[in-house]
Amino acid sequence: MKALIIRIVALAALASTLAAPAFAAEEPPSLAADVAAGKLPPVTERLPRVPLVFTAPRSDWTLGRYGGELRTLQAKDRDIRMMVVYGYSRLVGYDEQLHLTPDILEKVDNVDSRTFTLHLRPGHKWSDGKPFTTEDFRYYWEDVAHNKELSPFGLPQALLVNGHPPKFEVLDATTVRFTWVEPNPMFLPALAAPSPLYIYRPAHYLRQFHARYVGLEKANANAVEAGSRSWAGLHQKKDEQFRFDNPDLPTLEPWINTTPLPATRFVLVRNPYFHRVDANGRQLPYIDKIIVGITDDKLIPAKTGAGDVDLQVRYLRFDNYTFLKQSEKRNQYHVRLWEKALGSQIALYPNLNAEDPEWRKLMRDVRFRRALSLGINRHEINEVVYFGLGRESSNTVLQRSALFRPEFRSAWTKFDLKAANALLDSIGLTRRDGAGLRLLPDGRPMELIIDTSGESTEETDVLELIRDSWRQLGIAMFSRPSQREVFRKRVFSGKSMMSIWSGMSNGIPTADMSPGELAPTTQEQLQWPMWGQYYEQGRKGGEAPTAPDVVELVKLFEQWRNSGSADEREKIWLRMLAINADEVYTIGIVTRALQPVVVRDNLRNVPVEGIYSWDPGAYFGMYHPDTFWIDTAQTAAASAK
Amino acid sequence: MLQYVIKRILLMIPTMLAISVIVFTIIQLPPGNYLESYIAELQAQGESVDPQKIAFLREYYGLDKPLVEQYLRWATGMLRGDFGYSFEFNMPVTKVVGDRMFLTVIVSFVTIIFTWAVAFPIGIYSATHQYSWGDYGLSLLGFLGIAIPNFMLALVIMYVANVVFGTSIGGLMAPEYIGKPWSWDKVKSVLEHSWIPVVVIGTSGTAGMIRRLRANLLDELQKAYVVTARAKGLPPRKVLRKYPLRMALNFFISDIGSLLPHIISGAEITAVVLSLPTTGPMLLNALKSQDMYLAGSFLMFLAFLIVVGVLVSDLALVALDPRIRLQGGVAR
Repeated sequence: MKALIIRIVALAALASTLAAPAFAAEEPPSLAADVAAGKLPPVTERLPRVPLVFTAPRSDWTLGRYGGELRTLQAKDRDIRMMVVYGYSRLVGYDEQLHLTPDILEKVDNVDSRTFTLHLRPGHKWSDGKPFTTEDFRYYWEDVAHNKELSPFGLPQALLVNGHPPKFEVLDATTVRFTWVEPNPMFLPALAAPSPLYIYRPAHYLRQFHARYVGLEKANANAVEAGSRSWAGLHQKKDEQFRFDNPDLPTLEPWINTTPLPATRFVLVRNPYFHRVDANGRQLPYIDKIIVGITDDKLIPAKTGAGDVDLQVRYLRFDNYTFLKQSEKRNQYHVRLWEKALGSQIALYPNLNAEDPEWRKLMRDVRFRRALSLGINRHEINEVVYFGLGRESSNTVLQRSALFRPEFRSAWTKFDLKAANALLDSIGLTRRDGAGLRLLPDGRPMELIIDTSGESTEETDVLELIRDSWRQLGIAMFSRPSQREVFRKRVFSGKSMMSIWSGMSNGIPTADMSPGELAPTTQEQLQWPMWGQYYEQGRKGGEAPTAPDVVELVKLFEQWRNSGSADEREKIWLRMLAINADEVYTIGIVTRALQPVVVRDNLRNVPVEGIYSWDPGAYFGMYHPDTFWIDTAQTAAASAK
Repeated sequence: MLQYVIKRILLMIPTMLAISVIVFTIIQLPPGNYLESYIAELQAQGESVDPQKIAFLREYYGLDKPLVEQYLRWATGMLRGDFGYSFEFNMPVTKVVGDRMFLTVIVSFVTIIFTWAVAFPIGIYSATHQYSWGDYGLSLLGFLGIAIPNFMLALVIMYVANVVFGTSIGGLMAPEYIGKPWSWDKVKSVLEHSWIPVVVIGTSGTAGMIRRLRANLLDELQKAYVVTARAKGLPPRKVLRKYPLRMALNFFISDIGSLLPHIISGAEITAVVLSLPTTGPMLLNALKSQDMYLAGSFLMFLAFLIVVGVLVSDLALVALDPRIRLQGGVAR
């Protein structure tokens, strides 16, 4: 009898291993005790039935070993959200070649960018072990997005096409479908963003705060007790998947934050239900714990140099490079230089909405903008400020991008004072004063003031060099450093004639990413804040653009938004880039600026060369920190020495 | 006496009101508000912001209301013990400050004790041995303490401590104890780390105290009653302890007024450099990011402590020194 029972148990065990994925079930050592004690189900039951199998993205990528903790630093409590960026667990995400691939989703069926059918992984679980199903999507759609109190301003922009919402259907426990009448190419990139569009919520957890599920009075009473004004306020506060400040909120990220705010040291532990495995079927992440210290941002380079971190990129600047390099040996780390994905490290933004009528007319004159661009000695700036490591360029996409064309980069960037002067003469700015300065039509000398946010000496160094060459165009240039908020106010209101800031934030786009930066879409665009505001606020605030090329850009952008075909989107992108390059709405200077990344010697799988980019890329996210691992053998060897 | 105290307390009400208006105005003076500096900060890092979320927050935090209304809401809230909501931390101000207050009080208290322990003997020594080598030498040390900026000293000591003793840079305890419940090891770790801030903040205070004690004592030492006491044959130490020293101590008491807020706010800049988990850096950050209720409530609390401290020190002076009378204010 006893033997029979054992046989049955053995058979049952065999059956369950057959049903589970055909992987060896190696338990991460740090969880083994809990599994043995029965507190946690074994790994085969924790993984989705079809986990994401992570394959080597590079030749120097290796299978890792479990264990260890990774220390890193941030400057503010709020920066804990960076762990969601680094974790980069998204419905779909970019891989290192910038292809959108399913991540949390098993697959996506996309028909003409109109119908998106999302297939979840059966058996996928939240970090607390509760199932992650289409109920979580329904909860978001019905109880959050369509709840007047939680979303008083309606659906997020990325879900609207020309103001129209999609049709949302739950097909079964693992399938949902979004259908738009017009194509919505913004949808998948929004899901893959570092700060993504979350179209799901941990329903089982959030229900306890929702008026619909606990009753309005009880929900409000709970909220007041918890120090919020209404149930909606409390729900909002608890429901911060991106802020990552609620340790109780279940997550799908590789590591779970265990520390509530405020804190000076955050501890993140591995998510035992994470959905990715390596090629040997071992559950990721490799590293058990992440320790995030909070230190003043100015102290971070010093602490990094003192060897207090295992991986650091944020708050390190290029001018820390030599200092960091100096203690490389003593503190066993390496400084790597990654490329920033900015279209131009710094760019000048002529304000086409400047208040002063004379200057506004000039700024809107393409000849003037071209003359200014030709009057910059980019080679000299590159050698002096960037040690010759940058590349002279206009403000356009980088060579890595498929949309790159050499003629965009070289458009109006050759240092040519003669041509620049000829252009200025052709505008009619021929009168000069005694000091050789050109005069504006109303007789004022051309004294161009450039606003800076006053934060970086790099900007002022570059401006100093530009000042000299522009003087030879008969233009006097002055920089006006202020403070960030003041700077933005001055630009938005048109008080500033020209400003300096970083270039295009996404220098490595594909045709499927939004070209919104190239056309007026938001007030934040320093070259045409009022035109941007006009479109941002649904053609109400700001000013409608008048320049024909800008109107064309707006049309192109709308076409892109409504385009269902990849070919067409690429054509639109190229046309928009061409217009921007030729019209010189922004004046780029150098690209390929470098970002120091400090990596401890025993930390594996951090690429030697990488791109440092917010979107696409999510900083480290694209390189999958869940596959980074700590080589303890190497540590032992080093300490034995 | 009682009448005097009541009058002083009543006077505190308009004082606090005026302070609250000033505090609120100053916090509002820089352009923009919390949300705008928040957007600007995100953008400087290359992140984007969802305008709808910002619209929601603006309404939820009441930032779209007129300034007067915002002020009234905050001021009346404080009367009920509601210090407002910290935007940055997304929780009530009282919860944010919590644990930090305790560590701040510890550090400041130890610092004050350190300052007294160093300054007191030196002050007495340099007064009684005026113009001696010891007087000059010790005064020089004290002045160096004042002259070297705190943050500079902090950086140097921190570097030395890291390289020589291997103490981790910054903080008030080894990283592994942060957020853990108090234990004996944690206390030891705090002691190991806290000497740096104590010495750094302390050195700047000692010089001032040395000079004041020295000056006061020198005044008294010349007086006739000291000569008389000496002439009567009292031993010099007893003379010193019994008469002039006691007279010279008045400034100690009147310092209480400024001491109380010092205990709470600590030395902000030093705390930032050393990244101490005290309230100083928090106040500074709140001011920078225009987290107005956190900053405002904090400043109000400091102001309240000053007002109370001044009252306490005035009353203590009256109690201790019979030469001081209250007649200036009450008698008519």
